[in-house]
Amino acid sequence: MVQVKGIVVIVGNYGSGKTEVAINLAVNRKRAGLDVRIADLDLVNPYFRTREARKPLAELGIDVVLPPEKYLQADLPILSPVIAGLIRRPSQLTLIDAGGDNVGATVLATLADSFRKRRVHMLQVVNPYRPFTDTVTGCLKMQNEIEKASKMTINGIIGNANLIDETRVEDIYKGYDFVKALSDESRLPLEFITAPVELLPEIDVERFSCPVLPVERQLVPPWKKAVELRE
Amino acid sequence: MGKILMKGNEAIGEAAIRAGCLNYFAYPITPQSEVAEYLSRRMPEVGGVFLQAESEIAVGNMLFGAAGCGARVFTTSSSPGISLMSEAISYISSAQLPVVFVNIVRGGPGLGGILPSQADYFQATKGGGHGDYRLLVMAPASIQEAVEMVMTAFPLAEKYRNPVMILGDGLIGQMMEPVEFPEHLRTEPSNKDDWATNGMDTRKSSKPNLVKTLFLNAEKLEEHNVILKAKYDRMKREEVRYEPYNTDTDYQALIVSFGTMSRVCRTVIDDLKAEGFETAMIRPQTLFPFPEEPIKQAALKESCKVIISIELNMGQMVEDVERSVQGGRPVHWYGKAGGDVPTPEEIIDVIKSFVS
Repeated sequence: MVQVKGIVVIVGNYGSGKTEVAINLAVNRKRAGLDVRIADLDLVNPYFRTREARKPLAELGIDVVLPPEKYLQADLPILSPVIAGLIRRPSQLTLIDAGGDNVGATVLATLADSFRKRRVHMLQVVNPYRPFTDTVTGCLKMQNEIEKASKMTINGIIGNANLIDETRVEDIYKGYDFVKALSDESRLPLEFITAPVELLPEIDVERFSCPVLPVERQLVPPWKKAVELRE
Repeated sequence: MGKILMKGNEAIGEAAIRAGCLNYFAYPITPQSEVAEYLSRRMPEVGGVFLQAESEIAVGNMLFGAAGCGARVFTTSSSPGISLMSEAISYISSAQLPVVFVNIVRGGPGLGGILPSQADYFQATKGGGHGDYRLLVMAPASIQEAVEMVMTAFPLAEKYRNPVMILGDGLIGQMMEPVEFPEHLRTEPSNKDDWATNGMDTRKSSKPNLVKTLFLNAEKLEEHNVILKAKYDRMKREEVRYEPYNTDTDYQALIVSFGTMSRVCRTVIDDLKAEGFETAMIRPQTLFPFPEEPIKQAALKESCKVIISIELNMGQMVEDVERSVQGGRPVHWYGKAGGDVPTPEEIIDVIKSFVS
């Protein structure tokens, strides 16, 4: 069982799966009975953002904090003052989905005043099947760059090994071994790993020392359907 | 090496390296900037060059110069950037030099928007720049196909001594899919002694190669254009690529669609099949040369009532579809140009309205 709570900032490489993880973590914790709010801080890329899952999340009672409607399609770095308010009065779980790489994490530094004196958990999402994070050295380099840009410290790792639709059980096992090695090397706890919900019945969870977050894929191209989220 | 998960833009950059291209000049623009970002890290690792130029006009001329020296070279951009390069594309075509261009198309005209679009179909297939020239244009529908097309583009550009363009939309650039890379190709173009300027080195060829595009003599310019036309005619004979889908059924409607739009159409064809309603698709993989004959043949099937060209624009490829079908069946167009990709449900309604 994933136990994450409080203020949680999700960071990681470009395309590591931060948004898909954040959405599914929000859903998982909401189902466990927590009050959950999720903020989309991705100012870097206008494709595949949290805002695309706004409706199904809202239907589950998850508050999605976005820039005002009139700026929603803007290709501009607009940071709503609502985010600062969100940090000052956090829910049982307040998830902040940052943009990719150090570039995306730079935005976090502008929230330094709001974060001060708060206990913030910053977690790095790692997919070893992505370029530049296929080695432990690559992941550590990214950790360092994100910490510098955000002026914050990473406190844990989320293993998100996947090849989207083509993920097999052995990819999950290999991915776990990789992030375990990264966790040992960086001395950061492995908070949880993810696995596509369809694969769960075939996976031996006893193999892992951390919980598994089932992923019900929400960010899909226009010719595919998102997994329907139920309460 | 196993599969890795890549964004289209990253995969395009890696594919160029695997194809032995170590010269990349570009200027960033959404939605293709990740190619530049990726190659700014990768090119130094493989001893290649990424040079961010001061503008796309400069990029075009750098490509012209580098190709003239016999270097394998490419660039990536998005719509307005390609417009700025169009003068150089015309010169490069006239000078018969191999260069690969990748256009990750955004909405237009003008600055337009940054969401997926196929509004540069005309620009890619019917000019953009001035004069009688053609680009060999390929349109990938998946990230794996983008990799394969980029890797094929370099040898094709060299075979024809002509620019090749890969036309993708914002989704091809931005979405992620698992990909695999074939082995490296050779680095040096084998036939570069035919065109590369060699500084009067007659040991390499009996006469010095000149790169020029000015022909003030009418007969010489005529002769030059006839040579170019012969190449474009050869492309039409030898390079047509397309993918038929569900064409072995008694379909009532034939869809013609390319790139990511064709992915939606594939879902539509499967969904309609489940309802017992057969439709089919011809997906052009090359936009020039256009698969005229396969479309004509598929359109003339007895069961087929209508042909629908489905595009992320206001109706461009439909003109080539009409030309291919030659009045044999009614041809319709459906599309959107703002950046929203039509959903399968939307397309199903459109097809039903045209068939009934």
